[in-house]
Amino acid sequence: MDPIALGALAATCLIVLLLTGMPVAFALGATAVSFLLISDGTGAMVVVAETLFASLDEFALLSIPMFLVMGSAIAASRAGADLYEALDRWLYMVPGGLLISNIGACGIFAALTGSSPATCAAIGKMGIPEMRKRGYPASLATGSIAAGGTLGILIPPSITMIVYGIATETSIGRLFAAGLMPGLMLIALFIAWSLFYANYKGYTFVEDDKFFTLKEKFAILPKVIPFMILIVLVLGALYGGVATPSEASGVGAMVCILLVMIIYRVWRPVKLWEILSSATRESVMLMMIIGMAGLFSYMMSSLYITQGIAEYIAAQELSPWVLMFYINLFLLVSGFFLPPVAVILMTCPTLVPIAISAGFDPIWFGVMLTLNMEIGLITPPVGLNLYVINGIVPDVDLKTVLLGALPFMLCMVVGIGLLMIFPQIALWLPDVLMGPVQ
Amino acid sequence: MNLYLRWVENLSKALGYIAALLLLVAVIIVCQMVFNRFVLNLQTSWQTEFVTYVLLASTFLGSPWVLLTRGHVNVELIPLMLGPRARFIMALFAYLLSATLCIMLTWFSIEFWYESYEGGWASDTIWGPQLWKAYLSMPIGFFAISLQYIADLLCLLSGREPPFGIETDTPPETA
Repeated sequence: MDPIALGALAATCLIVLLLTGMPVAFALGATAVSFLLISDGTGAMVVVAETLFASLDEFALLSIPMFLVMGSAIAASRAGADLYEALDRWLYMVPGGLLISNIGACGIFAALTGSSPATCAAIGKMGIPEMRKRGYPASLATGSIAAGGTLGILIPPSITMIVYGIATETSIGRLFAAGLMPGLMLIALFIAWSLFYANYKGYTFVEDDKFFTLKEKFAILPKVIPFMILIVLVLGALYGGVATPSEASGVGAMVCILLVMIIYRVWRPVKLWEILSSATRESVMLMMIIGMAGLFSYMMSSLYITQGIAEYIAAQELSPWVLMFYINLFLLVSGFFLPPVAVILMTCPTLVPIAISAGFDPIWFGVMLTLNMEIGLITPPVGLNLYVINGIVPDVDLKTVLLGALPFMLCMVVGIGLLMIFPQIALWLPDVLMGPVQ
Repeated sequence: MNLYLRWVENLSKALGYIAALLLLVAVIIVCQMVFNRFVLNLQTSWQTEFVTYVLLASTFLGSPWVLLTRGHVNVELIPLMLGPRARFIMALFAYLLSATLCIMLTWFSIEFWYESYEGGWASDTIWGPQLWKAYLSMPIGFFAISLQYIADLLCLLSGREPPFGIETDTPPETA
């Protein structure tokens, strides 16, 4: 059978299974296993188990649960709420300031966790009720948090970038650094839109009865600053090449637990267990998807689907920009159906060599891909952030959230465009921090 | 049947505890390794490899508990749009297929584990551990997920649990 047709069949099979409501990991696994068994017969049995194990047998993957522990330590304590409170105290005077502080809080929380649903959940729990209380429409309140939450995978640390780095053998530190400026660019775009919208609709939302003295403004900082310093140190160790991502994040996780224990006096075993178990849940879920996506990717290359698609694309002799347009479109659509880590593991073996031979930088490509994945996080049917928001405010239906998120999605598309025209937005910082690529 | 359900639930929970503890162990080992390397200037020998296996064990062993607590991400768009009867059939299909996959993976990983045990496979690092010890978590994990899936199927068929855990008294969200 023609590899392209076989690939299309595998993709269709996967989408059908996903839509039945099977867990994503098992839908990936079932597709991969059945195609392997049909082509190789029972000989594939041991290979399946071996490949599954091998796709997870990677020291760098350890940084994922470590960053998750950091995030859940912050989320389970009052640290998230204090962070939020701090931003509110500093920004409440700006018109539409609450919106800005929410987006800013998402950005900062993104820097602490590396996971988009975690960012969305932590800020959304406080931000959405607060915004609605102060009269922001539900669509704007939920949409901004859904979109702001996606920053989790762009602003370092980022679980998506870790997986991309492993899959493509590019430097994770460099990828992290490359995500920072585009992340700030997105925050700026989001805020610009919010301010424009707030002015256009005539929302002022400055509350007359609300006032914080300078003392109050500073009083909250000591609780928040240690976490900021911690993340700067963790990332600093990474950029400096002093430690590997797993080492830096492992120490970060430990320090984060200790900070939460000291600052917030979280020492009851029940509470500590909560931190650990929520990180474990997330880690198991992600690792299962990573393993099964690895199996899927192995199936694609052992049936020559990967190579077939690559040859087919090369034969089209597209100009690099047309090619990049199609790649973006493809990634965007994949992101609608699959979580980011799965998309990366399944598509990178094909796409990254194509992108490199067309003259694109692999680090830049990783950032581009992440931006596409961010959009996928707030679009159905697998928009994880949408479900998170839905869990926080069940009375707001998905359609309202989507409508609210739509302008922010367009901001991301603009961001992708800017990044295509000015690749330096991503590549400048890693070169400055870590020196040019040898 | 009740006995089986309770037994499987306890097993999954126990494995969940173990998985979380393994994650804690991983955090501690990484810190110990960093301490050794940066403070004591020692070569790290076994830590990198060991901690990777610990994470793998945490993943496979934790999986049944994550299934029990519905933590494996799925796409609920279509099930939410369907009526109760169609949703039930969809759930039956999804659970059966997932259970089949897990049972097959249990079998494959036992086969794989046995090969490594018989062959005395060792890792080619300086530490060079026997690999069957690392691989063991896979068959155990998949066996327990299979049991949990069968329990979920029984709960679905006997009406103890709604399909996909979606409560019907809350109106399905418009998507």
